Amino acid sequence: MSSPPSHLQPGAALGPWVVEHVDPEQMKTLAVLLADPNPIHLDADAARRAGLGDRVVTQGPASVGFVLNMLADAVPGATIRDVRVRFTANVHGGDGVVAAGSVQQLEEVDDGRAVRCAVWLDVRDGPRALDGTATLFLPATRQDHTNHSEEN
Amino acid sequence: MSIPELEHLAGTSLPAGTFTISALEDDQLREVLHAGPSQSGVAHELWAYIATQRGIGISVADLCSIAQFDIADGPMLGSTELEYSSAMRIGTRYRVEGEVLGVERKHGRSGTFDVMRYRERLLSGDDLVASATSTFILPRRGD
Repeated sequence: MSSPPSHLQPGAALGPWVVEHVDPEQMKTLAVLLADPNPIHLDADAARRAGLGDRVVTQGPASVGFVLNMLADAVPGATIRDVRVRFTANVHGGDGVVAAGSVQQLEEVDDGRAVRCAVWLDVRDGPRALDGTATLFLPATRQDHTNHSEEN
Repeated sequence: MSIPELEHLAGTSLPAGTFTISALEDDQLREVLHAGPSQSGVAHELWAYIATQRGIGISVADLCSIAQFDIADGPMLGSTELEYSSAMRIGTRYRVEGEVLGVERKHGRSGTFDVMRYRERLLSGDDLVASATSTFILPRRGD
């Protein structure tokens, strides 16, 4: 198999992928899509009563979605095999967020490569809201198959 | 540590259901997430979480209630693991199954809370398409 692209060597940075301001109105749409009636995502007073600050709290899955977008942008042509994250701080309506990651390991697998990554999402000028890992699958290219045939 | 009164929940099957990702809702999700358009009818990967949550035959409120927790008390998503065996496709009707994996009681600076772990799967026929394994943090106010 040919050498992996230089941007996928272990230690290589993925992202950043930025949302300038998480729109509270769009959280209402996401609440409907999630069928999640938790009022802390919709009503700043509910968030305040729950001791979660003065603004609505973004749904955790939105943060996962931003990380998935970052991965799709960072490694075109790859498919996502898994993403495993824990939520470490809240994202609030109006916050800016930055999704990013780094390549941890490349592994030859059947018909391609598995790219194991660390991933995270930071609130701009704030805490890390999410961290975890992801695995991408990068299919072998025609060049890879040609090289493999020549090796044999 | 496990909680005596909730120990029996580990392994509890959740009612199965079905879910179809519509093109309209995939477009709405992509707009919310600032994602690019669908390619060749493939749904956004976050549907592994959403389709399982909506397709399983129990609401988030009722899922909380089987752990004796009122959704009005503010459950929080603690972690999630999404795994994909194949792409999720717009317009395909998927079967959704799942179970509670366990409930664990913890004590932190903010007080006592339970961690409920559950897994839900998206299937096409007998083939696993994707799964979501998540934990809800359930604060036990007054405990």
